Amino acid sequence: MLKQILIKLPRKLQKSDLLDSSGSDSGNHTSNSGNGVQCTNIGNSISSRLSVVKRVSSAVFPASIMVGVEAVEPYLSCTDVSILQKQSLFISKLNLCCEVSDFSDPDKTSAEQDLKHQTLIELVDFVSTGSAKFNEPAIAAMCKMCAVNLFRVFPPKYRSNSISGEVEDEEPMFDPSWSNLQLVYDLLLGFITYSSLDAKVAKKYVDHSFISRLLDLFDSEDPRERDCLKTILHRIYGKLMVHRPFVRKAVSNIIYRFVFETERHNGIAELLEIFGSIISGFAVPLKEEHKMFLWKALIPLHKPKLVGVYHQQLTFCVVQFIDKDPKLADSVIKGLLKYWPVTNSQKELMFISELEEVLEMTGMAEFLKIMVPLFRRIAFCLNSSHYQVAERTHLLWNNEHILNLVTHNRQVIFPLIFPALERNSENHWNQAVLNLTQSIKKMLCEMDEELVLACRQKMEEENSQSSEATEKRKLIWERLETAANVIPPA
Amino acid sequence: MSTVEAPLYPIAVLIDELKNDDIQLRLNSIRRLSTIARALGEERTRSELIPFLSENNDDDDEVLLAMAEELGVFIPYVGGVEHAHVLLTPLETLCTVEETCVRDKAVESLCKIGSQMRGNDLIEWFTPLVKRLAAGEWFTARVSACGLFHIAYPSAPETLKTELRSIYGQLCQDDMPMVRRSAASNLWKFAGTVESAHLKADIMQMFEDLTQDDQDTVRLLAVEGCAALGKLLEPQDCAARILPVIVNFSQDKSWRVRYMVANQLYELCEAVGPEPIRTDLLPAYVRLLRDNEAEVRIAAAGKVTKFCQILSPELAIQHILPCVKELSLDSSQHVRAALASVVMGMAPVLGKDATIEQLLPIFLSLLKDEFPDVRLNIISKLDQVNQVIGIDLLSQSLLPAIVELAEDRHWRVRLAIIEYIPLLANQLGVGFFDDKLGGLCMQWLQDKVYSIRDAAANNLKRLAEEFGPDWAMQHIIPQVLEIANDSHYLHRMTLLRAISLLGPVLGSEITCSKLLPVVVNASKDRVPNIKFNVAKVLQSLISVVDQSVVEKTIRPCLVELSEDPDVDVRYFAVQGLQSIDQVTMSS
Repeated sequence: MLKQILIKLPRKLQKSDLLDSSGSDSGNHTSNSGNGVQCTNIGNSISSRLSVVKRVSSAVFPASIMVGVEAVEPYLSCTDVSILQKQSLFISKLNLCCEVSDFSDPDKTSAEQDLKHQTLIELVDFVSTGSAKFNEPAIAAMCKMCAVNLFRVFPPKYRSNSISGEVEDEEPMFDPSWSNLQLVYDLLLGFITYSSLDAKVAKKYVDHSFISRLLDLFDSEDPRERDCLKTILHRIYGKLMVHRPFVRKAVSNIIYRFVFETERHNGIAELLEIFGSIISGFAVPLKEEHKMFLWKALIPLHKPKLVGVYHQQLTFCVVQFIDKDPKLADSVIKGLLKYWPVTNSQKELMFISELEEVLEMTGMAEFLKIMVPLFRRIAFCLNSSHYQVAERTHLLWNNEHILNLVTHNRQVIFPLIFPALERNSENHWNQAVLNLTQSIKKMLCEMDEELVLACRQKMEEENSQSSEATEKRKLIWERLETAANVIPPA
Repeated sequence: MSTVEAPLYPIAVLIDELKNDDIQLRLNSIRRLSTIARALGEERTRSELIPFLSENNDDDDEVLLAMAEELGVFIPYVGGVEHAHVLLTPLETLCTVEETCVRDKAVESLCKIGSQMRGNDLIEWFTPLVKRLAAGEWFTARVSACGLFHIAYPSAPETLKTELRSIYGQLCQDDMPMVRRSAASNLWKFAGTVESAHLKADIMQMFEDLTQDDQDTVRLLAVEGCAALGKLLEPQDCAARILPVIVNFSQDKSWRVRYMVANQLYELCEAVGPEPIRTDLLPAYVRLLRDNEAEVRIAAAGKVTKFCQILSPELAIQHILPCVKELSLDSSQHVRAALASVVMGMAPVLGKDATIEQLLPIFLSLLKDEFPDVRLNIISKLDQVNQVIGIDLLSQSLLPAIVELAEDRHWRVRLAIIEYIPLLANQLGVGFFDDKLGGLCMQWLQDKVYSIRDAAANNLKRLAEEFGPDWAMQHIIPQVLEIANDSHYLHRMTLLRAISLLGPVLGSEITCSKLLPVVVNASKDRVPNIKFNVAKVLQSLISVVDQSVVEKTIRPCLVELSEDPDVDVRYFAVQGLQSIDQVTMSS
């Protein structure tokens, strides 16, 4: 019973304190005469709330929180105190850094900001030298400090302030308090990777809510921040095993929202980068849950128009999956065909290179399942009037594995692509493409001349019939129309 | 048609077309589903076509979207309302696909169909569908389900209603944020069908849960619907249950939430009645007007007039006006622009004295704003102030503002001010116009940008309509016709454009005596583009002038142009001659 109270208590405390500090806006800071006052206030309120517990059993509860805040001045340097005091000094310094300064206000005296900055540097040093001891109060203080400083709402994307208004302003927004944020991130990383950190205790504070708010920050416009987050989330995933399913689920949710709702997110590349290494760690045979992630999250990620920003990472993830289970290749290719870009040539180029990578790992059995729709698409790409797309598609034939697959199935594939090659020879505008088409045609002839001749004949027949087919289609619909008008609707 | 007709199988045609590789053909055939259905007749549509469509759901999203849309209006083809339920099966599948716009369209079509179905059929077919979707394994089904409850609910018997409410409650607490977002954004629709006792208990509980969701995005959508929800409640209940939530949200730390509140606050006022407005909503609104975040101030500033309209003038002057003063000096140009687009509307609310004393300085300062959009927004709403205090007080500041906008380096700004010129002319009167603005109107005709020249020509037409032919003869025509001697062919083209627009307004006499000679003269221009534009203008003037003038002046000119060495000139000249012939024949 008592234990339960103790476990719950610090977390609640953390929450309520968070609310306190977030509720106060920038106006309140100016009213505080100095940081010291603020700090002891927090300390007092903690100790007064804890005093209830203290009465029950002071022996069970680690005394260092109270000692830390009340007895040791946070301004002392770490080297100036005895080893015994170090721990409490550590905590009081962490608490000192919970004061969020307002960088947007230039009038504010820089003294307290400097103080916080110095303290953060000291803390980073202290942790990196390995002299910190992360007992429960320290962990609680650390998580609270990170939460107060890091978890914030990003400002709106600023409209350009120039009068022109017509120039797209793509400059990313940088948080003015980055110098401090970076130190807090360093500290968090140092904490998570601390060799003697007890994961059992840490997971209570680095909990679901903490992680999901950390994930929200991936939307930051600052690439430096996303980079920090990437490393930290990766370490959390590595160290706190219990949270792994949650992390995977929460990231899936971010991806769903991005793909199906907003198409806006700044951190997809970073999230996928983490997933690249998560996937490579999956055990084989793959669990159904993981395959679902491939089908429901990764493959739909090919749809948004921003795919270029994270395509490299996405391809890596997809390839990891096929590496684990080559049977997935055909469903991946089906997905690529489903989301194949219609007008965006840059995107099409990415798709073709991903396709090549995937095909390279595709076995004959899977290839057979998708080759017809696949080569229909490839035929279109061969004809693309964007010469890079056409060129890139022609180059697929240089890949030995693909060539091998094609050769074995030439009876099906030649008839699909031969008309496209002919069309290119007749009227593609680009000389390089024409040359490539010529050499592929030569290659096909060398492979199976008889088949090529048959294809040519079939194509000529079809060409002569095509206008007839159009005419026939028109006629059928006309007859349908007549039939429809004979039978009156109800 | 061929003489030997093969028997026609409409379904086979469809199946064949849907197998085609060309997506355009597949789309075309889906777009003509109703033809196939009519050819089949109602019974076979029910027994063959619809089951086929239910199976055929593996196509491109574009085709599925078209199918979802077509099915929404398919009731007549399956035999009317009593058979409407057969359409539910294919749409149910479409509600579960991945692509958002297909799902949305399927839900929309289901709502269309459901709202026509009979009560018993809804219970037998529609409600089970909603329940199946709500229990769907993948989130897409559950997301779709949320948008269907308001159709199923009204005709359900009591026990089923209880069940539906509890299912919706579960959706509000779904594991997936996607589903909770859908539940939040559809809540007000569902709430509109629920009996008031349950509304106060169940629905409000759901609302409160959603507003406390740990995902920002869910809370945001809950706020978005709060005004609609509030209007369903009795004013005192709304004040007791929704007001505190909103007032609380107006101080949320996320600017997105505050932004949403700023957008909703006015409508909520309509739902709660006067007393809570004064005590709670007004202070909240004033806070939003002074928010730290420009986006929030923009949203709030845009509602300033509407808000003043529901307050008493005293309250508006006491609480809102000081904020308006601050906003007119805001550091963000977008805030000032948002304010400028509505602030003129406050004049009728505050009355003449307060307007002159308090608002006028604000108008004047906005009229001198460094950002053109702000000035434009003020000018566009000039009529509202004119009614209250007359234009004289403003006119001194107005002119410099207009001149500066007229010469702005961004053509979009120039375009915008040209479009307000007729409004200004109407408000300011002929006298003011002649002195100050006439020159500007001519200057625009020779702008570097085509759109401006075109708008300038159009502007002359509207002015001629406003002030009449006599005025135009005196103030426009002489200057315009001078352009005929301009050395730049693009300017001469603009003249032709202006003539083709002015002709119909000024009437036959002026056209013949003043405009036509200039046009005929231009037919001897050395630039072919001018010449074929002459042909076009002549063609447009045929209907304006008398038959005799057509024969005497227009026809010879066109005949001459029809023998021009330039192919385009000949083309348009021949076109002109043809339309003369048509007119002569018909008369």
